[in-house]
This record gives sequence, structure tokens and C-alpha cells, in this order.
Amino acid sequence: MLDLAKSTLRAPRDYSACSGCNLCLLVCPVWRRTHDFSLTPHGRAKALQFGAAAGDIAASVQSCTLCAACEPVCPEEIRLVAMTLDLRRQLPQPAAMADLLAGMQTRASPSAAPALSSATVLLPGPALRDRPSTLARVRALLQRSGATALGADDGADIALALEAGGEIAQRRLDRFLRPLHGVKKIIVADGLLLRHLQPLLPGSKIIGVGEALSGLAAVRSALRAKDLYVIEARAYHADYQRLVRYYDSLRAAAGCSFNLDLQRIAIPAAARSLPQRLGLEAVDDGVQLRWILQGRKVTRIVVESMEDRAAFEQYGECPVVHLADLVDDGTSSV
Amino acid sequence: MHLHSPAVEPGTVGPCPVAPDALQGIKRQQTNPARWNGSNWNEFAAALRQQGIELRENAAARAAFATDAGGTAYGLAHGVVIARNTEQVALLLRAAQAYRVPVTVSGGGLTTEGESVAFGGVLLDMTGMSRVLAIDAEAMTVRTEAGIFWHSLAEELRRQDLDYLSAPLNLTSSVGGTLGVGGIDVNSARLGCSADQALALQVVTPTGDIVECSDTHNAELFERVILGYGQFGIITAATLRVRRYTPLRMHYFYYASLATAIEDLQLIDRNEASDYSGILTILDCAVNVLVAFDSLEREAAFMAEWRPRLRGYGEFGFGLRTFAHYILRPWKLGEAWYLLQRKRELFPELRRPEYMRDGTMFDRSVVFSRAVWKFWGSRQMVIPDLATSAGKFVEAVKRGNAVCRKYFPHYTLYLVGIKLRPEHRAHYEMSCVPPDAEGWAYGCEFEPMMDAGVYSRDYLQSFKNEIYDIGVDMGASYYRFGGMMKGYIRRVFGDALVDRHLALKRAADPAMILNRHVIF
Repeated sequence: MLDLAKSTLRAPRDYSACSGCNLCLLVCPVWRRTHDFSLTPHGRAKALQFGAAAGDIAASVQSCTLCAACEPVCPEEIRLVAMTLDLRRQLPQPAAMADLLAGMQTRASPSAAPALSSATVLLPGPALRDRPSTLARVRALLQRSGATALGADDGADIALALEAGGEIAQRRLDRFLRPLHGVKKIIVADGLLLRHLQPLLPGSKIIGVGEALSGLAAVRSALRAKDLYVIEARAYHADYQRLVRYYDSLRAAAGCSFNLDLQRIAIPAAARSLPQRLGLEAVDDGVQLRWILQGRKVTRIVVESMEDRAAFEQYGECPVVHLADLVDDGTSSV
Repeated sequence: MHLHSPAVEPGTVGPCPVAPDALQGIKRQQTNPARWNGSNWNEFAAALRQQGIELRENAAARAAFATDAGGTAYGLAHGVVIARNTEQVALLLRAAQAYRVPVTVSGGGLTTEGESVAFGGVLLDMTGMSRVLAIDAEAMTVRTEAGIFWHSLAEELRRQDLDYLSAPLNLTSSVGGTLGVGGIDVNSARLGCSADQALALQVVTPTGDIVECSDTHNAELFERVILGYGQFGIITAATLRVRRYTPLRMHYFYYASLATAIEDLQLIDRNEASDYSGILTILDCAVNVLVAFDSLEREAAFMAEWRPRLRGYGEFGFGLRTFAHYILRPWKLGEAWYLLQRKRELFPELRRPEYMRDGTMFDRSVVFSRAVWKFWGSRQMVIPDLATSAGKFVEAVKRGNAVCRKYFPHYTLYLVGIKLRPEHRAHYEMSCVPPDAEGWAYGCEFEPMMDAGVYSRDYLQSFKNEIYDIGVDMGASYYRFGGMMKGYIRRVFGDALVDRHLALKRAADPAMILNRHVIF
């Protein structure tokens, strides 16, 4: 079995380095919703420093949305996402994970998957696959900058197992990664998977769907000054140093506003705890969505991720469009 | 073996029974001469629960508050309560008073001397009360719950193109905590300390009464709570003045002399030549006077009238001067290398492009707070300070600097002026504002860089004591005189004043339950 979460730790700094600055609270969606210090990265780190075990802080560990907003602001550069995933691995697996893990064993058959011949591969994830028309638009737009293959195996099960702290069979991982070796650019819809693929495929440029689409001139020119552009938080924070500059240049070019706070951290829209992602608890995005929209004069919301689209559509404040819907790509009318 | 602890007269601070022979010649201060022994806890806990107050007694919840940002004082509460509303806080204090259970209040937990650490009793986490209640853009005020972090308040104000007046250069200081101790910003020389921007407060007294107070309404309580170190009530909501948001145009001038830089800083402050001013140093070798402006007009006026009178260098000129200085003193090349390294690390952080547009700095508190935690933050932090009148400031800083030199290879000084409000003189009594200051007070924080070094608590305490002894000698005051430094309160303010405040405290808090380890 491969300990993927642990294998992608880039630095040895852990909870013991937490100096108690509270900066992670400022950006934590769980803290915004609960104002409960114990449910924050700081709360977990301090409890661990004073002898708590994973089981003692299980509710806190499960409540984390893994939006990763806390990582770029941590002055001690603690790998907070890895810390939380490591703690999840130490907890009993939720019963809802059993079917998933059994399915992974089935998919881990040793037959070799064919290598992808395209220089660019799109791993759309389940939310985008569930909306075939939007997926078709995304592909059509990406084809404008070169042939883009659709990854038949987009690692959705791996992403969910990562989220839950489940262990991933080495054979399953090999089977997923093998076709991707040698691919120059991989466009990944799932921000958590993106974070973990970066060190595993160092020869590939791995970016999010949002960056891939917003980099197209046609998409950029379709953005309006009164748009609120909602960055997908997980992908953004996984590559923060680079992307903060990327989106700053996009702001300068397009003039729209973003779901960024004063620290230039992306305020997550659809921020979900593990029980919520597993369908064990009701989803309530209201606090986050109200905070994103508060005091803004917005006529249209442009989203990078399908989860954010669904959340804003349900909230119903103003029209919501996916980046792929901004341009008439010939697959359907805009 | 028989351990002998000398008898302690009730109500006095006795000799420290811990290693009494250590640190000969340095006065030891005992923080907690008589800790609460846990009596009535179970009855108290049951009373809280009966009233629907959630009390967390599990180890993980209590351990999370075992220390503060200083990381040198450790204590455990018997239980933690997250403040949720004013009525709940009032119920808690009434029960605490009845059962004589200590209540220690924590906001951002950024104290450094253990002031927000509970040594038994209840830890009340005020960050649970973090809502902005109302923004009045016409009256230019905001009403907010007091547990909110200043940065969270700024985030909400900015959505309406507003900003707070002044707040500590630290994103996660809480509003209530700051109003209780002062709060210094780089615009304090023009606008005063953060506590002076409060127009009105909602306070829960130690006996559990909910009282609204201001300069004109329950003024005596307002006087005691502002800069009152949490002794006379818990601030649950505050009405603060706000202003229109403006990005800053920032300039830095470099000096090799602390005295010259301070004289120039005071020249700037006296003449309100800039909107923001302060000094940050690397050791005492690179002394950086920073000035900033809210408008092009103010910047242009400064450049025309005041810049020629300043004796500081620009970055390039100071680089040349420093190079010449060290080339003639090769035995100090280690120091020169440190300055160079520090410049390479720190300066880009202060000019990160995502916070700068067209030469102006957006979000100064973000820029400075990130730098503060990145370069000065660590598991242990001691930041002794001296607050003096303008006339005594150069000498105080020079003497404090010599102490820093003696104890640490690397350190930083942060100096800023605080404009005083004559009508608030009553607020300033027994506070960080020195009693002899007129017009402006000046504060200097002496911040050692711990780097990878490990220092004992005794070593750090000795350092702080030596700095604070300067204050006693000079008739100064301190920003951080609570907690582990509270033994200095009587030395610097005298028994008569402290006893008068103690009598007020006993009248307001008969069981002496609220923040009992902070001051008295």
C-alpha cells in the first residue's frame, strides 16, 4: 500500500512549529462558520503540541474542507493539508468509504493502460463528467491551444480516497499514473488531486481547469468588469506563489473582481467537510457565499468549478456561468 | 526531603520559591503567589450547564489555550467557554462571582507575558463573538463584537471602501483585547493609540451586569475599561470611528544612528509631516525611518518641505555608506553579512507585487503582519518595551539597545510615537502611557531574534528585567506590564496609585475572579 499523503510531504515542518499566530483562522471557512477555535488548523496544532492524539480531535480533523487557504498564510510554512490528511489516516475509515476502496481494488487490475499520445490531457473529475455539455465546451475551448485528450481514468476514486485519508493501492496508483508519464500538460479539475500529482509527475505541467481556460484570449475577452470571478480554491492554493501573480495579471487585463480577500487568499465557495462530501451531513454553503458576495456590486458570477457553479445557482443571487460558457465554441449557443 | 516554602502574607507578593539562589542580583518576580485551588469547580460547572452554557473540559480543548504567543507562560484552565453572546458572558460572570471561580479572557491570544493564559478556572475565548453588527458610512462608525480580529474587521470595512483608524500591525489582535491595553500603529503619532478610537463600549462587569459606556455615559467605567488590562469588565461590543480607505505611498530613509533617526522621527511627528511614521531597525546598524502618505498631495508637500531636513539616506546611499563602514572594520564582517542577508530576505517581503499597485501599498497591515510573523515569530517571543515622554526617548532607546546587544546577537527595535488626547488623561492612568508625557508618548519594542537559538525562561526573564529596570530608573511605563512582568507595576507606578486601583478592582470584582493574574 502506498502512503500517498505522506509521500507528498515536501517539508518536514509539522504542527510542532506552530507559533500560535492565528493567521490561519482569518482564512478558514470552518472558523468563519463556527467561530470555534478547536476546529481550525491552529486549534489542531496546539492540541497536538500538548499531547492530543488524532482520536481526541476527530471532529476537528473531519471538519476541515481541505481548501488549503491556511497553507499560504502560515508563516511557519507548516504543511497543514498534509497534517490534516495524516490525522485522517489515523482515524477509523468512515463506513461510506468501504465501497470506494473495494472499487479501487477492482480498478487496480494489472493490465497495462495505454499511454496517452496527446501533449495535453484533461482529467475532468466526476462533477464535470456529470455535465457532458459543459465538458464538451471545455474540451472544444482547450483544443484551440492544441490537441487535448480526455483522460479515461481521471482518478476520481483516488481523489476521494485522498480526501478521506484512505490508503491507495500501489497498483491502482501505477495504473492511473502510467498513461500520464510523458504528457507535457495535465489539466486537472480536482484541486486536491492536482496538489498530489505535482510531485508525482514532475516532468509535466499540471494546472487547474480554471487557469487553462482563463489563459485563452477568447475567454479573457469575454470577462466583464462587473463579473465576479470565483477562483477554485484548492487548485489556487496548491500553487499559490505562482497563481497569485497569474490572477493579478488577469485582474489587470479583465478588470473583474475576484473571490480574493485582502491577503489574496481565495475565499472558498463550496467548502465541504468530509462528512458533507460523503453525504453524511447536510451541505450549507450559505455563510461562504454570503461572505463572498457581501458588499459587492456584481451582475454575473463566473466560476471555474462545477461545484461552485451548483452552490451559487442554488443561492440564486445572480446569473452564474462556467468559464467554458463564456465563449461560443460551436458546440451550442451561449 | 523537606521543601521549605516561606510563608506569604495574604495580599502580597512573596519571594519566589523556585530556584531562589539563581540569577543572583536580578530581581525575581513571582507571577502567581496563590493560585486558585479548584474549589467549587464541580458546582460551578453544573450551574453553567444548567443555564445552557457549553463548558468544554476535555484535555484537547483546554490544551489549545495552554500558552500565549509568548510561549513562556503555561497554564491550564479547568474548562473553556466560547463566548457566543453578551447575555451568556454575563451569566458566566455571575456564576463565577458566586462560586469564586477565576475567569481568564483570551482574544487573539497574542499576549507575551501569560496575560491570556488561564492558571485554572475558566478560559473565556472571546473570538466566538466576531460579528460586525453595523457599519454607518455616514457617521463613519462601526459597531462590532469585540472578539473580532482587526483584520476580519478590515475585510468587512473594505467591502464598503472604509478602514479602521489605527490597529496593531498584527492581523490577529482582537478589538477587545487591544482596547484593553492600547494598540499602536504606524499612524498613532497622528491618530493616537487604537484604544482612543473607541466611541462607546458594551461591557459586562465582573459581577455580570451589562453596561453601555462612553465618554458621556457611565464615563467612569469607560475610563477604567479602556487601557484597563481587563480588570474592570469584559468588552463585548465596541463602537469605533472609521475612515475612508486609502492605499499608501511609502518611503524609507536609512540611518546609522538611533539618536539621529529618533530626532528626525519626532520632527516629522511634531509637524504632522506624514500620515504614518515609525522606525524599524536591523540591530542598531540599519535604522529605517518609514513614512507614508494617504495622498499624492501630502507626499509632495513632505518631499518639498520636510525631506530636505531629514538626515537619512536613500537605499543606495546607505548601501554605499555601510559598505565603506564595514570595509574599514573587517572584524565586523559577520555583522555586515547578517545585514545583507536580512535585507535580501525582508525587503522583498515588504514589496510583494500582489500588495503593490502603481507604487502604492495596498493593505499595509497584511504586508507588515506577514513580515512580523515570518521574520520575528517563533514558539517563544519576548518583546519587552519602554514607553516614555518624547524628551526621555533617545536615552531610553539607547540604554535598551545596549541591553539587547548584551543578550542577543540579532534583534530589532520598533519605535513609534503615540499622540495623546488631553481629554483622555484619566484613561491613561496606570497604563502604557507614561504619566509625564505631554502631546506625544513614544514606545520602543525590543525584539530579540531567537533564530535557531534555545533560551531558558530565566535568560529571557533576565533580559526583560534589565530592560524594565531602565523604565523604573527613568520613570517610564510599559506596554506589556502584566502577567510575568506585573512585579514592576508597583515599582514604576508607586504603591499609592496601585493601591487605589486595587481598591477600585475589589469594589468592582468582589471575588477577584476576572483576569486575576494580569495586574494585581
